[in-house]
Amino acid sequence: MSAPAKVPPLTLARVFWRCLFVQAAWNRRGMQNLGFAYAIDPALRALYPDADRREEALRRHLGFFNCHPYMAAAIVGGAIHHEEKVASGAEPGAQPLQYKRTLQGPLAALGDGFFWTALRPFFGAVAAVGALLAGWPAIVGALAVYNLIHLVFRLGLFRAGYAKGDAIVGDISRLALPVVADRLRSAGAALCGVAAAIFVLRAAAAGGSSGAALATAAAALGYLALARGARLLPAAYVAALAGAGAALLYGRLHGSS
Amino acid sequence: MGYLVLALVAGLAAVERKGFLQAMLSRPIALAPLAGWALGDLEGGLLVAAPLELLWLGAVNLGAALPVHEALGTTAIAGGAVLAGRALGEGTSPEGAILAVLLCAPLALLGRRADRLVEIWNERLAARAEAELLRHHARAAVRTNLYGLVLPFAIAAVLAPVGAAAAEVAVPALLSAVPGARLPLRVGFFAFAALAGASGAKALRARTAPALFFAGLVAVLAGAALLGRLAT
Repeated sequence: MSAPAKVPPLTLARVFWRCLFVQAAWNRRGMQNLGFAYAIDPALRALYPDADRREEALRRHLGFFNCHPYMAAAIVGGAIHHEEKVASGAEPGAQPLQYKRTLQGPLAALGDGFFWTALRPFFGAVAAVGALLAGWPAIVGALAVYNLIHLVFRLGLFRAGYAKGDAIVGDISRLALPVVADRLRSAGAALCGVAAAIFVLRAAAAGGSSGAALATAAAALGYLALARGARLLPAAYVAALAGAGAALLYGRLHGSS
Repeated sequence: MGYLVLALVAGLAAVERKGFLQAMLSRPIALAPLAGWALGDLEGGLLVAAPLELLWLGAVNLGAALPVHEALGTTAIAGGAVLAGRALGEGTSPEGAILAVLLCAPLALLGRRADRLVEIWNERLAARAEAELLRHHARAAVRTNLYGLVLPFAIAAVLAPVGAAAAEVAVPALLSAVPGARLPLRVGFFAFAALAGASGAKALRARTAPALFFAGLVAVLAGAALLGRLAT
């Protein structure tokens, strides 16, 4: 009996690098299908010396695939885990596809909920407040921390998927990401309030108490309007033009501009 | 030269935003200072970075939904504000920045429409990859993925300098024609920025977001008022 097929570590590193391009050709029919095939291709080349088997494997990975781009690393890793078994004859060729189909939806929802609607906006708010108080070094710091977390997650998910296959589900659920996401969203909302207050203080410096009152009104009424479904860009135009118009009127009434 | 630099920054940001990495480098908070720095005015880019980040905090790619193209809008606004300030010979100002916002923000909506075209283009790439595989050209099939980076780069690299150029021409003309509008526009910039804070809190979709947003706002203002009183 031959030794089980294994993907060399350098090839795995290459696959991980290619995972960063998983959305390069996102399309409505196959979504991330091209990106997935592009990412896993070096591993398939290592596992299938026979061109026909390699093409067959590549064809199954050109099918529909969609996940959160960070979480997709876990599925690419897990697909390689299964492809090694397929190449060794321990599993049928349908197994990697089954793995992808089962995990892509739940991991996409988890990734969207944690990274896109919590962690990234939180760090965006941290960086914005930092930039207002300390300038560009705060932005560099916030982005460095965000990317440390992001890349540790992305690489960790890839390695865990490759090492554990289906067992990765338990590892991810133990992270309690939805609970952490809720806390990050709350903290981010408070930071947005802090940022709005800093703008009010700057409006006071620029336009006195009337400037401060206008900026405060823009923040408070703007929130209420957006919460009631007002569209963002028109609301931003109204805030800017009403603020400028009211300041102009106030200046005229008090004999200065 | 400035337009070429801006085109490169906008193109690379458009690629980073969706096709490669997604490390927040194309978010307004990073991109606006980068665009300003590339044009020789880091502080000018910083002026619009925080308001634009908060304004578009909710611009995220969830599933098949397309958000506004915040990277395109940001590059045009930051570039336009910096170039307009330079044309006036006085550096980037809040009044110039708010006019750049008003002129260039719709590019973020135009960018979303362009993203739809990119998706249609990418469908053709997917069909081409399948055809290559049928012809047993496996390497060509997988390489097709990278061609998907070209169109987003090109669209942003063309539209962002066009928007910035429009601001470079229009903003100095407006400010020179109505000098009395400067202070009101400055207040308008901060009103816009304060609304951007509200937009950020709203985008976070937390159950407690309204209470925490207003608590943060009131706490800082109360603290500032108290410090002001203590100082006098």
